[in-house]
Amino acid sequence: MNANRISYAQLLETNNLVQMSADETYWLCVTRTVQESKLFPVPAYMMLSYMMAYFRYPSLLRKIESRMSAEEIGDRARQSGIKTQNPSMGWALPGFYLLGREWLINLGMIRPQDAVEDLIYVMDFWKRFQLSWHRNDGHLTNKEFGHRGQFLAERQVQVFHADMFDCAVGDELHQAAQAFMASASQYGFLISCESRISLHNSGPYKLADDRELIVRDFMDLSESDFPWLDDVAKEIPFNNLTVTMGVKDCHFYLVDDWGSFESKPEFTADKLVGVGLYTSDTLTDGYVPVAMGSKQELTACFKSLSEKIKDASNKLWRRVAGWTRDQMIDAGAITYFSIVKDLAHVAGVYEVSDWMTVDERAERFRPLFNDEYSRDALVGLCIGTHPSHILTEYTMMQHSDKPQRLYSLIPYSILQGEDFTPTCGPIYPGRTHLDPKIDRYTTSQGVLTLTDYNQRSREFRPHGVDPKYRHLCETWVKYHAGTPVADELYKLTQKRSRLLEGKGSSLKRADVEKLRGAGG
Amino acid sequence: MAKLYVDSDKYGDQPASAVVEAYHNAIKNLVRQRLDEVGGDWASFVFDKSYDLIGAKDFAQIEKKLLATGHRFDWSAMISVRERPEAYKPAAGAGEESKEFSFEHAEAVVAPPDSDGREQRGIGDNVVKYAKNLVGTARYIRSSDRVLQLLTTGVPAETVAIIDDSGGTLTAPILEQFAGVICAGGTVRSHLGILTREYGIPCVMNAKISGIREGDLVEIESTAAAKTAEAYQKGIEITARVWRRKK
Repeated sequence: MNANRISYAQLLETNNLVQMSADETYWLCVTRTVQESKLFPVPAYMMLSYMMAYFRYPSLLRKIESRMSAEEIGDRARQSGIKTQNPSMGWALPGFYLLGREWLINLGMIRPQDAVEDLIYVMDFWKRFQLSWHRNDGHLTNKEFGHRGQFLAERQVQVFHADMFDCAVGDELHQAAQAFMASASQYGFLISCESRISLHNSGPYKLADDRELIVRDFMDLSESDFPWLDDVAKEIPFNNLTVTMGVKDCHFYLVDDWGSFESKPEFTADKLVGVGLYTSDTLTDGYVPVAMGSKQELTACFKSLSEKIKDASNKLWRRVAGWTRDQMIDAGAITYFSIVKDLAHVAGVYEVSDWMTVDERAERFRPLFNDEYSRDALVGLCIGTHPSHILTEYTMMQHSDKPQRLYSLIPYSILQGEDFTPTCGPIYPGRTHLDPKIDRYTTSQGVLTLTDYNQRSREFRPHGVDPKYRHLCETWVKYHAGTPVADELYKLTQKRSRLLEGKGSSLKRADVEKLRGAGG
Repeated sequence: MAKLYVDSDKYGDQPASAVVEAYHNAIKNLVRQRLDEVGGDWASFVFDKSYDLIGAKDFAQIEKKLLATGHRFDWSAMISVRERPEAYKPAAGAGEESKEFSFEHAEAVVAPPDSDGREQRGIGDNVVKYAKNLVGTARYIRSSDRVLQLLTTGVPAETVAIIDDSGGTLTAPILEQFAGVICAGGTVRSHLGILTREYGIPCVMNAKISGIREGDLVEIESTAAAKTAEAYQKGIEITARVWRRKK
């Protein structure tokens, strides 16, 4: 392979991104929650998913970019609560790929300089997406921002702030909202085979000296991509729901790249003082309010959704309880691997065979994934104890102070003649032990076939990426508030707002709070 | 035999678990052997010929050899041992509904009955602090069969579920009906901890208990301080007590 196609600068940057992912993966795995289950063989499906990511992500990302750039998808991601956020993009895209690569290195099946062009491309795609998605906070990841994720524009935060309904412990809305979030969280764990990747928290945004806003997304709830939700989730009317949460006397000091948070004092139900509800998908122009006309309407909606979710949950649990181990592994591995599938939906190039099957190159490894080997190999990958992780004794890695690097860097020696390979190849055929996917996708434009869904996605352009507005960023707004174009831009986001419709770009936070007092 | 790139590793010589060592050594041997068979050209082997030359049958053979030594795997998911009992260590927990079964943790803190007749049978990490302690009837829930049974018959009132799965899926369809939860694993950040917090169900995680049997009347010290993320990170002990009460 000719190294002239790869520059020193590319390798330096790629290795920096790899190292950044390595540091954060260690921290997340060691300090955040542990995922355990007696129902699902979790470590086994995780290991399989990393293989699937390694062999398919490069080709699938290239396919996506053949229609839409990572930067444009990042711009669209700011305007919807779908799986183009954390933990999908902030951590899993590079993480799953790199964990797969590291495991293969430890098996002696690849070298750190194999599939180098794939690696450079995956990390570059991730960087461009992340910088675009995070452009309002100016960071690459929540980690780089000190574990905070403030990617929304002011005009969107203002709508969330203005339209949120007050609630307090004991009142009907508070109870209904809490019950909804409990049942949706539980359902989220179940549809995601014990993982938390259907849930995402972002923010915080400061609403007042004593109040912060957390935005919580519940994703992939209805009949859509996952075959195991066919029929059982038919009654759930929205595939994605976003709950805006106003929280009092509680500072969220950490919102990580897994989409989970920590606060001081600990967040408890009594601190929830405001809620709102929205839906979005690849076909919505931003967040669409759900039952936000009145407090009563919202309360009734939360109750109704809770009932539908509980019903779906019970049906799904019975289905899962009857699965074979291979079916459980497939569902878990597909859930993990397809954590970034919504990139393909945004670009309108989603295919079931790409995202809902196990690539035959990954499938080969299944006989290895008994519970014990999977557990031990996985722990080693996550804390850095396999041979490839070990560095010179002088090294003190971030967080651990140990000479253990989670992901191998690309050796620069390939620039002076050491041989390397560019790619693991194209997508190979896949298979699954699960039932075939029924061609029914719940979207904001109704239940569609996949062909129709892709077609509409390709034709759809939200206002945020309209060339007229796309680069009118927060810095521009600071110096152009009140101009006709700024007002036009704000009004597009405000068009469905109960309190801000038509208000334009000049409002500041205190003005929004005043309107809440007048209109709430 | 062909030499692999990772065969020359200046630093990576620390041993892994026995199973990982056995598997990785066997797989590396397999790779060396297959690479030899095609003449040792890595570039044409790594992402091309190896796809056909190293397959599921080879990996199944590696497992077969390990099992032939008498090794039996630890299990984490019930389905694994249920489908292949010959490959896994026996599943403890059969007879969970038996009057005789109880979790017995070596570090369970126990004490004689106090003046109210409460006998401390253990401790756990409190998920949320509530105004009152929780009293209820202990019921072990450790398998999907038991969950299915309770899903069909309904969970009896005042059930304190005693669980060793800190996940959020095993008990998903009946969790909301529990009055309280004592979980013998995980942390307050485990999925079960998160869900009990959301549902407002008193819960202790990482419970170290002893001598609590099916049908016992138990009390959870839900009024104790909740264990914080900071406490976990700094290794600070903050625990809630679990008592057995006279019926």
